[in-house]
Amino acid sequence: MDDYVITVLSNIGMISFIALSAYLLLLTGEISFGQQAYFGLSAYAAGAATAMFQLPIWAGILVGACVAGIIAMVVGALTLQLSGLYFSVATLAFAEMARLILLIVEIQVEVDGEMVGPEGANGFHGIRWMFERDISLTEFMLLIYGLLALTVIFLLLVERSRLGSVLRMLGSDDLLAEMQGLNTVRYRILAVGAAGVIAGVGGALYAHFTTYVEPQFFNVMLGVHALAYGLIGGLGTAFGPLIGVAIDVGFLEAIRFIQGYRMIVFGGLVAILLIFMPRGILDEERVHRLKAVFSRRNHARA
Amino acid sequence: MIDFVQNTVDGMMFGSSYALLAIGFTIIFGVMRRINLSFGATIMLGAYIGTWLHVHHQVSVWIVALTTLASTVLVGIYVERLCFHAIRRSAVLASMVSSFVIWMQLEEAAIHLLPERTYAFPALLAAGSFELGPFLFRAEQTSMLILAMIIVGVLHVLLYRTRFGLALRAVSENSLAAAYMGINAAWVTLCAFALVSLMGGVAGYAILSTDAQITPFFGLWATFKGLIAMMLGGMGSLPGAILGGLLLGVVEAHALWYLGNEYKDLSAYLLLFGMLVLRPGGLMGQRILSREALAFRRV
Repeated sequence: MDDYVITVLSNIGMISFIALSAYLLLLTGEISFGQQAYFGLSAYAAGAATAMFQLPIWAGILVGACVAGIIAMVVGALTLQLSGLYFSVATLAFAEMARLILLIVEIQVEVDGEMVGPEGANGFHGIRWMFERDISLTEFMLLIYGLLALTVIFLLLVERSRLGSVLRMLGSDDLLAEMQGLNTVRYRILAVGAAGVIAGVGGALYAHFTTYVEPQFFNVMLGVHALAYGLIGGLGTAFGPLIGVAIDVGFLEAIRFIQGYRMIVFGGLVAILLIFMPRGILDEERVHRLKAVFSRRNHARA
Repeated sequence: MIDFVQNTVDGMMFGSSYALLAIGFTIIFGVMRRINLSFGATIMLGAYIGTWLHVHHQVSVWIVALTTLASTVLVGIYVERLCFHAIRRSAVLASMVSSFVIWMQLEEAAIHLLPERTYAFPALLAAGSFELGPFLFRAEQTSMLILAMIIVGVLHVLLYRTRFGLALRAVSENSLAAAYMGINAAWVTLCAFALVSLMGGVAGYAILSTDAQITPFFGLWATFKGLIAMMLGGMGSLPGAILGGLLLGVVEAHALWYLGNEYKDLSAYLLLFGMLVLRPGGLMGQRILSREALAFRRV
């Protein structure tokens, strides 16, 4: 594979993390405009861990994911009583605050005679873990997809478990969920935190893949795209957001020949898709039917 | 002290443009219970069509203004048909994402129309300033504040003194009950959308002629300033939208003066986040429905 294809595939993989993160919150019925904040904060934290403090990459990813998860839980606790548009705008406000603060922060330390660290609007240069250790693009792509597979398996297991039903129940009617004796506060903070961790893993990988992060990348467009992926691909299964990312990145790459008119075509197609499938391609109903088809086939064979 | 007052005045002048944008959001949200992310882009495409005529055919300023308004209304109707009418009412998320992709579409269409980064935008009134005591007022900003007040007055009469206003309020209160009363909810919604787009066109024209230029960032800017001002004031409240807009303008003006440019937007978002955490209903909105109230409503 040439570098171009690997880069596109790696981008699909890394963006999938933030799509899955938004999807997890969509399951609980909350629309977040702010998952890009955790992606970005984790990218900075992970970059700081490996570039400024010389930690290995697994520690960097761990630090990034923890930072993102903890901050997400704090934001989740502050916004507990908000729902609907109020929650969406509060997450948007937080994400923009985080981005604007990163535009101001300048903390640099000297490593091997060079200054490394976040440098305000100039971004954070020199996260060179991959080059210092001679890791090829292909190897890093495998790391991305390995972690992505783990995340998807985790989400699929959650959906099969009681926790998954609880989360979907919060999504369809949290009052009813509370009347069933569920501790909705605990589940909601848990979901928000887990979504932060998932976005954080993506951000930590992103920082090391590009060797350079700047606050401008984590703007609200990234967050709204993340939401759109889940909705295009479908809210019935964790594969939905992945399909959404593949359609967006893949389709936009495929229709390069109409350069300049891509968003006009793509925007129109998605708008029409949403008229006929308001919960995406793989919505709950279709997933259910597919499962039924598969289990029938298995029975027939047995 | 004089600085403080002058900043407050400047902030309120600028805030009146935020207020105009917030009113558009508030009405759409009131009628549809859904959010239209492409509101800013709608105004932007309308203004781009007007500017295009001005750049390529040197038409007079009045024709630019009228084209801007007419095309904003047409684009608004396009958005309503595609993203709101065609999608069933309960699919809130689908409408929002749909209006987002249409935002991207409109923005690209506008950039195709005029591909350079900035264009001069023709103003109806000549720029100028006058002094009142120790304070300086810019004429075009003062006229924007007056314009905002006139629009709010007209809207108030329209909403509370006409049959159309009654129908609109009925639909926003309970669309099913309104339908039983023989109100054509789809038609009222379409009219509301056209009305809001018209108002957005007026607001957009006033803001752009104050800036004297138009850039492709206008759509994003208008959507977010309008959204923030609406949330600060309280969703669905007209006086709230105005107060929210003015508050946002004043806070930004002070942050800019005392802290510097990089803190201007930061202070706005901090204010919004704090407001949502401490007083989610905003300045004028009803206190956010508590869980008990929700439970009672269902019984």
